[in-house]
Amino acid sequence: MRVQPRQQLLEIWQAVVDYSFKDGQWHWGGRDGRNSISDAEQLLCILGPATSIKPFTLDQPDRVEDDVLDAMKALGGRLDIPITLLKAVEEYLTTYTDPSGTPIFSAGNYFRSSDPDHEKISDEQLAQPVVDSFAISLSLSLATIGFARQFRSNLKRRSARADIDRLEAMASKRLTAAMIGLLRSFTVDIFDVDSREGRALCRTVNQRGLSTRRIVPLIQESLQEIRASLRDVTMGSGAGLAEDLDHPDRLFECGWSWGVVRDAPAITTKEEVGEQAPGFAEPAPYIYFTSMALDAIETLVSARTRQLGLLNEEQLRLAQGLQLRWDLTQSYWSTVSVANIGGARWPLEDIPWQRITENESEYFSLHVSSIVVQDLVRKRARDADLDRVGLVLEELANRSRITRRVFGGDKAYQVHAPGFPIELGGSEADTGPVLTWFLSDFAPLLLKRTISLAGLLGDPNLRGRMLALADQIWAQLDSRRLPGERRRGLWDQPRLVFEEYDVVYETPSWYHTKRVVDCLVTAAQVLTEPPLRSTQLTEFAGDLLSEADHLYDQELLQGSPNGGQAMRTELQELQARLKRARSILEERPGTAASLASDVLLRLDRFAAARSDLDGES
Amino acid sequence: MLVFATSDKGGTGRSVTTSNVAYQSALAGNDVCYLDFDFGSPTAGAVFDVDTGKLLVEGGGLHSYLLGTVADPHRCDVFADSERLSMRERPLGAGRLTLLPGDSGGGEFPSSPEMIRRCRELLGRLNEEFDVVFVDLSAGRSYALHMALAAVADMRPPPTVRWLVYHRWTQQHIQAAGGLVHGEHGILETGVELGHDRERLLGQLRFVRTAMLSPAAQGLTAEQAAWVKDWNGDLQNLARERGAGALYLLGSVPLDPVLQWREQLITNHDLTVSRIANRATADAFAELAELIVDDDVWDQR
Repeated sequence: MRVQPRQQLLEIWQAVVDYSFKDGQWHWGGRDGRNSISDAEQLLCILGPATSIKPFTLDQPDRVEDDVLDAMKALGGRLDIPITLLKAVEEYLTTYTDPSGTPIFSAGNYFRSSDPDHEKISDEQLAQPVVDSFAISLSLSLATIGFARQFRSNLKRRSARADIDRLEAMASKRLTAAMIGLLRSFTVDIFDVDSREGRALCRTVNQRGLSTRRIVPLIQESLQEIRASLRDVTMGSGAGLAEDLDHPDRLFECGWSWGVVRDAPAITTKEEVGEQAPGFAEPAPYIYFTSMALDAIETLVSARTRQLGLLNEEQLRLAQGLQLRWDLTQSYWSTVSVANIGGARWPLEDIPWQRITENESEYFSLHVSSIVVQDLVRKRARDADLDRVGLVLEELANRSRITRRVFGGDKAYQVHAPGFPIELGGSEADTGPVLTWFLSDFAPLLLKRTISLAGLLGDPNLRGRMLALADQIWAQLDSRRLPGERRRGLWDQPRLVFEEYDVVYETPSWYHTKRVVDCLVTAAQVLTEPPLRSTQLTEFAGDLLSEADHLYDQELLQGSPNGGQAMRTELQELQARLKRARSILEERPGTAASLASDVLLRLDRFAAARSDLDGES
Repeated sequence: MLVFATSDKGGTGRSVTTSNVAYQSALAGNDVCYLDFDFGSPTAGAVFDVDTGKLLVEGGGLHSYLLGTVADPHRCDVFADSERLSMRERPLGAGRLTLLPGDSGGGEFPSSPEMIRRCRELLGRLNEEFDVVFVDLSAGRSYALHMALAAVADMRPPPTVRWLVYHRWTQQHIQAAGGLVHGEHGILETGVELGHDRERLLGQLRFVRTAMLSPAAQGLTAEQAAWVKDWNGDLQNLARERGAGALYLLGSVPLDPVLQWREQLITNHDLTVSRIANRATADAFAELAELIVDDDVWDQR
């Protein structure tokens, strides 16, 4: 793999600290100014790896490795690093809590107007909470709570410990609020078979050209279990809809809208989370936000969160509600996109994925693939299925001009920059224009999925192909760094890759940098696993080893050890090598084969020397 | 400020490191004084290369003072009395560097309340006169260590105190150093018996690693480097378990041929003229001298 997570991450860390920490102050904001998402992204560039990869630990000061310390030296020594980071987190939490104590999840400049010349975006619109912010707040809060708990034991002063406890409580509050936000933005969209949505869904699923009369019952049957489980959704939005689903002429979609959905009921909770404002979002799933929410909930229900006991009792209850939605949504999208309803190719393979509420784009194929990969992990899928998703990813890399050149007049690159806009239905809130949201993380997202897919594949050939694809995507990301020696670890300058794109950015985009960091974290996790073992290679190594063994035993039988010191030393060394080869045969057959070859060559030197006696020379 | 230097075992380079740190501290402008409390084998004079004629004071050194035979222990001005010409010229801006040697024929002796009183009085006086007072104690759980702990415990007002524990970077040395601090009859246990506050004493204490061979050192083969790096990691873990981990580390001194072959002060002359010493070693001493007086480093958080 050309991606070298450790070196790259350290470079990023150094650049992030250099940029963000000046004169003893944390400096916020980048290319898109400040908002609750961008600031969290900036923090997670550091806290993400620090809480998920062991060599990057920062919360146990006496375990911090030297190169890590060196990269972070702008923040100070071992103890200063965590303290400064936690101070920055505290500043974040204070900034994004309003005076009444309600956490703020607005997206600020990440919102764009669909009609910039016409109307100005109203303040009310800008203040609307977004699923992206709920999702990232979930990650940030969990990281903070884990980090603070671990670090606390290193502090001696009572006041310092009290500070940490206060910070942990603040993070925990934001966590609860984010979970409630996610519960209130989940939605089940029910529509008639004959509606625009119904026809679009049938068309997507129907890859064999069956008649509507036949495809609808097939879809309904395959979604039977999911429909039954939707009855268990009792709190938040999307509850109490089960009755409507039983109608034979109805189909549905489930997932997350872009924000708290219209008329979503407030969640009753014992926790203090401030006001639960009414939502505006249209109650229909958005595939981008769905995939963001699924990713975040995955961390919430992960083994790490459980083992460290990061959730309190009330949060566990809310997490259960989210996990149920996670399961349902995963299964729904996986069923719709890869189940063989009507046989033939998967709907996922019919690129680009067509959306009902949104336009058609490669982007949606990528998001659906993300969900499918997660679902395949859960189901421990076979290589054959994984490979089909791999082919889809390859095709997406091609279509988005990562593995193909941009030709004159080609607009396909625009999916990277400026990105793909989606309209946020309901965001006008009667006070301004409809808002749009730009997706421009195609490359990092594709890279992340490619690497995690590679990690799942058991066949060395297939894995090799995926890693080659990962290298190509990385090559593009690598050239999109901000120029300048001290900013090498920051993104994003798409102009360096796409000549036609003429915007020059001076400041980093935390949106992009954080996503690159995510890729590197995934890569590091894949690299920690032991290498793949091919059965072929093991057999080959075993054969070599048995020949080497045999020849060696022959040498002993001939009484060679009587041949003096030099001979004895050589034989001892050969024996040690054979022993080592045998001990690693199962884990590292390639290395074992090389050791056996070496022994064979050296034994052959004796044979060649002796052949002189036979008059061969 | 009182700086006590001790070590788990002999041969850690305690005296030579402390002498060099004292020298660097003086170069940095502090008035520095160095007490040779290594009663078993007082050798500080040799490290400082003080003219034996001026050093030697039969019956006038620290032993005699503590035993009450003289009213004031003998003092040498290192910059003036050194045999090394390169030392004689006191560099511009440097502070005083005064050595209080032990008696040449002295030996270990148990402390008595009267000696502790005299010791406390001497330390109190020197602490007022000098910026930094280095006290080189014997290795291990010695009488000198006991006397120092006892003397400091009752000093009023309480002086600023630092305890340095030197150890080499090997398994045995790490275990021994951890034991010297945390073990039975160790510094903490003895200190608490003598009236010290455990947490406070622990806060005044840091380890110094000597003769460190860096995994990145030149001359190692790739295999050796791979092994050294992993073993280094194991030692880090061991150090952490024994309470000598990174959080309680003040600094490290690299392995230097000059110090291995001859225990001496590393002067500018050795770095720039004869070029027999490594710059990194001198830098490490200077950094230690700086860290010792940097209150932020010793601040309990």
